[in-house]
Amino acid sequence: MDEKKNAKLSRAVLDMKFMKKTKERVLKEEENAEGQLMYSNEITEEMKAAGNTLFVETTLVYCKDLVEGRLSFGGMNPVIEKIMKEEYTKKLEDSDKAKEKDVSDIEMAKGYSTVVDTIGKKFHDKRNRYKKKFIKPSDD
Amino acid sequence: MVINIGDVVYPGDTINNVESLRGVTLFGPGLHRSDKPNKLQITRAGILSFKTPNVYWVESLQKRYVPKKGDLVVGVVSKKAGDVLKVDICSSELASLSTLAFEGATKKQRPDLQVGDCVYARLLSAHREMEPELVCVDSYYKAGKLGPLSVDGFLTTVSLNLVNRLLNIENPLLRTLGKKYVYEIAVGMNGRVWINARSTKDILAIVTALQAAEHQSDKTILEICRKY
Repeated sequence: MDEKKNAKLSRAVLDMKFMKKTKERVLKEEENAEGQLMYSNEITEEMKAAGNTLFVETTLVYCKDLVEGRLSFGGMNPVIEKIMKEEYTKKLEDSDKAKEKDVSDIEMAKGYSTVVDTIGKKFHDKRNRYKKKFIKPSDD
Repeated sequence: MVINIGDVVYPGDTINNVESLRGVTLFGPGLHRSDKPNKLQITRAGILSFKTPNVYWVESLQKRYVPKKGDLVVGVVSKKAGDVLKVDICSSELASLSTLAFEGATKKQRPDLQVGDCVYARLLSAHREMEPELVCVDSYYKAGKLGPLSVDGFLTTVSLNLVNRLLNIENPLLRTLGKKYVYEIAVGMNGRVWINARSTKDILAIVTALQAAEHQSDKTILEICRKY
């Protein structure tokens, strides 16, 4: 049975009127095989080259957190100023807050650790502060 | 050679250990995907910058505007062709802006725009092979900040670098000018700036201020603005 299915029919036979369905099937199979061959090559090539990181291009506006450039001051354009209130003013407040915090967390931690050291010294008594080890005098 | 953030980089350099968040890394101008896996190739000379958690870009001086999807630009209508306006946005090609892409616009009721008028629009698509496409509405069909700019205003061009500096929230120039003058402004990412104020004198004063800012450092601008 398998042999019968795998047997290749000649073009002349397939062109016969009553072989229409078989012809369609054979053509489809051929196309599938061809496609698979093509794509399998493609996929392996791609897989070899591609890493696991996805790179997405973006605008400088997003990179640098820029504000949108339509601004109005002093009531020149009330519509724009209303929209600005939601966005521009909020960003401005955020940046001001960041500025107020003029000592960053890392600096704070560093500063604090030195303070701990200096205060810690207070609790050593003077004799222990400068520990001098006894050095055995040489025999000669 | 290992490249660190803040280094001066040259075209051809590659960043080997790229930070990513859930497998995604964003890159801005001056970078390109490398042929090798998980690496970024530098295509422009400048200073490599990084924003946590996963954004890289190269800080460089550039004169040519290259349209990028999502940019807000000031354009000048240069041609009217049926339903589509051709708008000059300082790029290599004219951008197309549909007359239906305005708030409340229909086939019968079109925005009144003549050749030479200014519009503030967002880039909907920008590909190398296609002409850029503009819209004057957001995804809810609301205009918001976008739309035609009044004919009373004054249009000038500044460098792309100055635009980036002006739109940084920490740069106080525009706010400080706002204390002295009543004015409105539209700064396009393409380097075009449209200004409108109560009097021509005020407009020219603001334009002069922008031109002066071009060659001053951020620090100097900050110090001068602090006086007002």
